[in-house]
Amino acid sequence: MSLLKRDAQGPHPAIRSPQNFVAGAFLIVAAAFVVWMLSGLPQGTLRTMGPAMVPRWTAIGIGIGGAVLVVLSFVKEGEALERWQLRGPIFVLASLVIFAAMIRSVGFLVAAPLSMLVAGFGSREVRPVELAIFTVVMTVFCAVVFRGLLNQPLPMLILPALSIQF
Amino acid sequence: MDFLQNLAHGMGVAMSPINVLLCFAGCMLGTLIGVLPGIGPIATIAILLPLTFGLDPTAALIMLAGIYYGAQYGGSTASILLNIPGESSAVVTALDGHEMARQGRAGIALGISAIGSFVAGTIATVVIAALASPLASLALVFGPAEYFALMLTGLAFAVLLARGSVFKAIIMILIGVLLSTVGPDLTTGQLRLTFGAVWLADGIEIALLGMGLFGIAEVFRSLEHGEARQVKQTQIGRLLPGPDELRAAAKPILRGTLLGSILGILPGNGAVLAPYASYTLEKKLSRTPGRFGRGAIEGVAGPESANNAGAQTSFIPLLTLGIPPNAVMALMVGAMTIHGIVPGPQIMTKMPDLFWGLIASMWMGNLMLLVINLPMVGLWVKLLNVPYRLMFVGIVIFCCIGVYSINSEPADILIMAALAVFGYALSKFNFEPAPLTLGFVLGRMMEENLRQALMISRGSFLTFVERPIAAFFIVLAIVMLVVGILPSIRRGRDEVFVD
Repeated sequence: MSLLKRDAQGPHPAIRSPQNFVAGAFLIVAAAFVVWMLSGLPQGTLRTMGPAMVPRWTAIGIGIGGAVLVVLSFVKEGEALERWQLRGPIFVLASLVIFAAMIRSVGFLVAAPLSMLVAGFGSREVRPVELAIFTVVMTVFCAVVFRGLLNQPLPMLILPALSIQF
Repeated sequence: MDFLQNLAHGMGVAMSPINVLLCFAGCMLGTLIGVLPGIGPIATIAILLPLTFGLDPTAALIMLAGIYYGAQYGGSTASILLNIPGESSAVVTALDGHEMARQGRAGIALGISAIGSFVAGTIATVVIAALASPLASLALVFGPAEYFALMLTGLAFAVLLARGSVFKAIIMILIGVLLSTVGPDLTTGQLRLTFGAVWLADGIEIALLGMGLFGIAEVFRSLEHGEARQVKQTQIGRLLPGPDELRAAAKPILRGTLLGSILGILPGNGAVLAPYASYTLEKKLSRTPGRFGRGAIEGVAGPESANNAGAQTSFIPLLTLGIPPNAVMALMVGAMTIHGIVPGPQIMTKMPDLFWGLIASMWMGNLMLLVINLPMVGLWVKLLNVPYRLMFVGIVIFCCIGVYSINSEPADILIMAALAVFGYALSKFNFEPAPLTLGFVLGRMMEENLRQALMISRGSFLTFVERPIAAFFIVLAIVMLVVGILPSIRRGRDEVFVD
């Protein structure tokens, strides 16, 4: 019935649920990749299970699930792909990478404000001056609370040239 | 009345000045992070977990319990004032709670939710104390086959509870199980799926999963809409409800507590269901169901009590069987393991101080919230007034500090980043992350128990049918899956939100 209706409105696309199609295809590829990664490991027998048994069969299960989603995407009407807003993720991810790269090499007092400055631009409503003040305040606040009061192992400032490390 | 004595002993442990202080600090910090929009208890605990590493085990768990209740309360505050629930169970609170806030009764909504939570917490504490011993002795007759079957039931239950497609929930669970197998095989020590990287050799920390999937991914989602939300000059008004309001809320609180206590005990995160169940029940029982959704105090009191009671009794499967029923409890396991404690029936007998101290501190955490935290609500409101364009920067840096503090391993931050992208993708394809976390939480334990069970049965799957308790759980799991697929029940579940 629904098929007829659609035809009346014009040619209908072969893939009726793009969302399920892409998700399913991704799951199939990911599952295949996992199975390939496990290829060097013994599966063992049911009586003495090897390290690859559970992950391999779980991956196969996921692959089958992906295949079902792909098949369903041709049969059942579903949602279209949603738009990805890249601005937020890109800036936030960059800030995470900065923090990871700098926390050990130069310390929190440099890594934190820098990564916060970058992250802040992930919002379309960013106001640079306000952001700069916020990062300074937050850096001091976190340093006092996490290192000072709570005694967390955060390296604060590392400057080998001046042999500063605390 | 043995357990009352034990409880009194626990009070003695929990009431030491240092433990009281830690519990308070935990409550404060938990609220501080938990009140941030989009940050639920899972992400909050994950961020704050490292703070407890330096403490002795009992103190650490007491502080964690404080963090947990603080996070819950912070979540309720955010959903009442901003209508931004940090987790699915706070969605229900937002329905009537936010409506009350818009009518200028925000204070009452916050007050009744704290009072309800305290009553629920008190009763649930007694329930835990009473049920702990019998359940722990039951656990002693459980072999690997029974454990495996029980956990399977838990997963089936999670599928039943998942919103959206049942099929997608099953896939999510499988992905969770697969992620849990990353790292060393527990029997042979061989590394699996690590890409040869040293920093994956220990597997993925549940805290990273919590912060990535529930913390940063939520930031990505929120950044899409920009500055939509604001605390619109909300008048908090008085905090303490009047006698009429108390009378209206009393029965919903008790009924919610009962519902929450029962659902929380079930493996597979039954606690999530508690607020929904309570809301539906109150609406059905009400003589004026039309008021629900328009600021009915019963719609806040019942679900909040149910939520808290469930949150508390979900400690039962963890402490008696060693099975974490949800991601929050899995984080507790993480904290325990760091201190060399293996959760399970033996804790109660071997470490009575820790066991009863923890249970008593749950009650204390609730009291803290009511007496100290509630009056500070003005402070949390100020915090919520910080515009999101700055707030998310704070969330990001908190997550960075939290992750780095776990292992002092910068690569962990990159794993979290990858999980965040994955979490964002899940929401774009309408997958729910909650079943994934449960699969992840139970995956390793299931693998170990399956392996042992099959070793004992010499590779025969019949062991799961021949052993009556195991067979019972397997049948239960199948029934739940079937029920989950039946459309009529799914429709009924979604009805709560209609009109």
